[in-house]
Amino acid sequence: MARAEPLPITIRQLTKAFGTVHALDHVDLDVRRGEFLTLLGPSGSGKTTLLMILAGFARPDHGSVKFGDAEVVRLPPHKRDVGMVFQNYALFPHMDVAANVAFPLKLRRVPRAERDRRVEQALETVQLGGYGSRRVDQLSGGQRQRVALARAIVFEPRILLMDEPLSALDKQLRERMQIELRGLHERLGITTVYVTHDQREALTMSDRIAVISHGRVMQLDAPRRIYEQPANRFVAEFIGESTFIPVAVRDGAAFLGGRPLQAAQAPPGPGRCVLMVRPERLQLLGPAGEPGMNLIAGRVRDVVYQGDSFLVRVVLADGTEVGARGVASSRAMAAAPAPGAEVTLGLSPADTILLADAEA
Amino acid sequence: MAGTGAEMHGDDASRPNAAGLRRDAARERWALLGLASPAFVLVLVAMAIPVAWLFWLSFLADDGSLSLEHYRRLVEQPSYARIFRATFEVSLVTTAICALLGFPLAYVLSQLPVRAANLCMIAVMLPLWTSLLVRTYAWLVLLQRQGLVNKWAIELGLWQEPLKLVHNMTGTLIGMVHIMLPFMVLPVYGSMRAIDRDYLKAAANLGAGPVRAFWLVFVPLSMPGLAAGALIVFILCLGFYVTPAVLGGGTIILVANRIANDIELFFSWGAASALGVVLLVLTLAFLWLASRMLRLDQVLGGGHGR
Amino acid sequence: MSRLHVIGAALAASCALAAAAGAQELTVVSFGGSYQEAQSKALFQPAAKAMGIKVKEETYTGIADLRLRVKAGSVTWDVVASGSGSAARAGAEGILEKLDYSLIDVSSFYPSLKQDFCVGGDVFSTVLAWNTKTYGDKGPQSWADFWDVKKFPGKRSYRKGVAGALEPALMADGVPPGKVYEVLSAPGGIDRAIKKIKELKPHIAVWWASGAQHAQLMKDGEVDMVTGWNGRFDVVKKDGAAVAYTFNQALLDYDCYAIAKGAPNKDLAMKFLAEISKPQYQAEFTKYITYGPTNKKAYEIGAIDAAYAKTLPSHPDNAAKQLTIDLNWYIKFEADAAAAYQNMLTE
Repeated sequence: MARAEPLPITIRQLTKAFGTVHALDHVDLDVRRGEFLTLLGPSGSGKTTLLMILAGFARPDHGSVKFGDAEVVRLPPHKRDVGMVFQNYALFPHMDVAANVAFPLKLRRVPRAERDRRVEQALETVQLGGYGSRRVDQLSGGQRQRVALARAIVFEPRILLMDEPLSALDKQLRERMQIELRGLHERLGITTVYVTHDQREALTMSDRIAVISHGRVMQLDAPRRIYEQPANRFVAEFIGESTFIPVAVRDGAAFLGGRPLQAAQAPPGPGRCVLMVRPERLQLLGPAGEPGMNLIAGRVRDVVYQGDSFLVRVVLADGTEVGARGVASSRAMAAAPAPGAEVTLGLSPADTILLADAEA
Repeated sequence: MAGTGAEMHGDDASRPNAAGLRRDAARERWALLGLASPAFVLVLVAMAIPVAWLFWLSFLADDGSLSLEHYRRLVEQPSYARIFRATFEVSLVTTAICALLGFPLAYVLSQLPVRAANLCMIAVMLPLWTSLLVRTYAWLVLLQRQGLVNKWAIELGLWQEPLKLVHNMTGTLIGMVHIMLPFMVLPVYGSMRAIDRDYLKAAANLGAGPVRAFWLVFVPLSMPGLAAGALIVFILCLGFYVTPAVLGGGTIILVANRIANDIELFFSWGAASALGVVLLVLTLAFLWLASRMLRLDQVLGGGHGR
Repeated sequence: MSRLHVIGAALAASCALAAAAGAQELTVVSFGGSYQEAQSKALFQPAAKAMGIKVKEETYTGIADLRLRVKAGSVTWDVVASGSGSAARAGAEGILEKLDYSLIDVSSFYPSLKQDFCVGGDVFSTVLAWNTKTYGDKGPQSWADFWDVKKFPGKRSYRKGVAGALEPALMADGVPPGKVYEVLSAPGGIDRAIKKIKELKPHIAVWWASGAQHAQLMKDGEVDMVTGWNGRFDVVKKDGAAVAYTFNQALLDYDCYAIAKGAPNKDLAMKFLAEISKPQYQAEFTKYITYGPTNKKAYEIGAIDAAYAKTLPSHPDNAAKQLTIDLNWYIKFEADAAAAYQNMLTE
């Protein structure tokens, strides 16, 4: 189908306070034309408020929201022409599937024949062709999800908003839907803003992720950069597993246990500094270590078997506990150290991330 | 005993405790039944037996013999048919007015914050704590020829001659609507409160302005409450006695009034019983029709989806 | 154990007391309101005192209540106050005890004011009353006037039940009082009366169902002209209502006392009826409400002021202007007449 050009979204100085709490605090954010951007944050971070302002359901205290060149911040929701998928789908229970999907078309006075065609097409897009006459309460959770999606895209909006749309599904279905939504986005190329608190979901689906906390954007980056090069300790803690080891900084270089650390970037600014350690980036090395790696010595506390992987928990000299994850192959398992063994852990300089030690 | 044999057989090594567990399940079922028995007895004593007795009496002539004379009278005397018609008409009109007034009222309440809505709800319910008779006579005092309404309206120049507001259909309807309104507002309000706000957000998002979102989404979703309220009001109206007697001026004669009249007039209970039976049958027929229509509503997707 | 013993003793004692009291206690039932208040003060309590017994008073709504009790075999009432027509029908139906007129002295009664099952207690009239604000003193004086909406424009109120409703219509239609029941008993008589009422129907604003109601209607000025029971109008007149009435062409009727079938204290009840039928009680009763005595002697013993006596329905001057209700007609025709009347009302 001939689709309208997707629109970029420009957000400036957007602020919304509930009493003394800032749900959004002077947010600036650009969503690029056609990209899949995820707002990721813990509950209460302001990500849902931001989405509600984009949809027009919440009114900010001040700020600007532009869809393309048009300022929309004062536009009522029914004039914004954005598709939205609600957390609980909000399918109308008094209408069948086809009527739900046809609803936005009817409001736009699309002629009957074209309406029917587009409804069927939208249902086929979400792999529900032929389900038009089903009642909403006859559908499974995944099917409802797809109907909600079909209803949100059938009128070819130039922006699509999704509010934790997969949170009600079980894990397997959720993972399948993540792939499907991603594929759908690639086909439709529609500018999409997606809200979730599930970091794996965000990492799987997004072109870019905006990590939000206390009404501010902590980092806006591609998933891989968010994971591998978090901008600050909050992002590092919120995304993935990590341990923070205090390091000493002298003359622009960091030292751990008296040994200098080779890092991808110089330690940040003045003040105290920590080393971020992710379990899967630590390698168990022999006592000799390996050249070119940063080495950390410790004693094995125990080995935890986790099915697809195993975690070796190691206590360092200063008492900090770190984990090193290995893929649970038979060979690796056989080579796993016994509790109490002295081990050397290796961390490649590219994975050596130094962060300012500000509490998140 | 066959049962014991089967049980012993059931309790072999491959099915330990089978018989005991089955017994526990049976005991639980009986206990549940036992808990329900007061309700059964109540329904039997308070409903089934009196209704059966009513049926029996309606077929007895004054001399105690079986006869259809009471039913024949209902058919032969044209006043009875007119009274049944009037009863259903008054009930339908009252229900319609209650719906027209109650729906917007319930809507406003449902849009208020819960605390304020609860306060207003108490105000709506308050009349129910006052005697029906008192409320009815209050309307008589307000609406009569020299009553407050006429007096003030004439003083304000709204009309010159006293209007006939009571002792007729107008007065009866005013009184009945006032008394019945809470029974309409309560279920409608309940079903409106239960409507997820996301439905309205979704409607707005899909392009419906407030007015169209109201008519296309909110109203259909509150229909179950409206149907329930209408049914309650209608059924209650069918048995109304006091209000038409006091505010109807003697010409608004409903079935209940006629029953009271016939009890005084005839020696046997049969005459009044037959009236009761016919009203009961007509009401059941109406309920059956209504339930079919409501089921139809469900087929169309009533009931709030999960 | 000892506690049980005490309770048992107490129970036994109270049973004994109840039995002792029961032998000398009579239950009387009437319609309540200002009417029963007058009965209580003038008849029931003084008579009880004179006889050395106790009278327990209850209220009921009508003959259907009595029927229910008699048919259920749980009669706790002894003496029942009733309208004459209801009593006649209840007697015919078999839910009243026959009265023993060798015990009750009715020698000085107006002859028509007693029946086999019921002895007259007071006389009242169904009169034509009007609003004196609307018509001044030159109010309607006959049923023909009541029907004359040109000469006397205004809202009417008429009785919702058939009792006492057909006779005025016939008189308005030109039937002389003496012939009313003759015409009503003949074929087409009831229809003729109902046709006449239908004529007036557009001008009847309210169909009243009780004495309290028609009194209130006049007090509130809701209607300008009404039929009703004379005593009730006198009560609201004392309260300042602008109401007057005439005995001309009024219907003379009476209330009476009967004994419920299977009354627990039948013999005592009979003696009680004999007591309250004495002239001094009946004379006393008139002081509370303007209903006249059924015992002519009540006028003769000098207990009723002569001027006041002239305002009572059974005073000879007043009685002469009135038509006495024919109970036999009601026993025979009331059900049919009621059906036709209801038909007219619902049309």
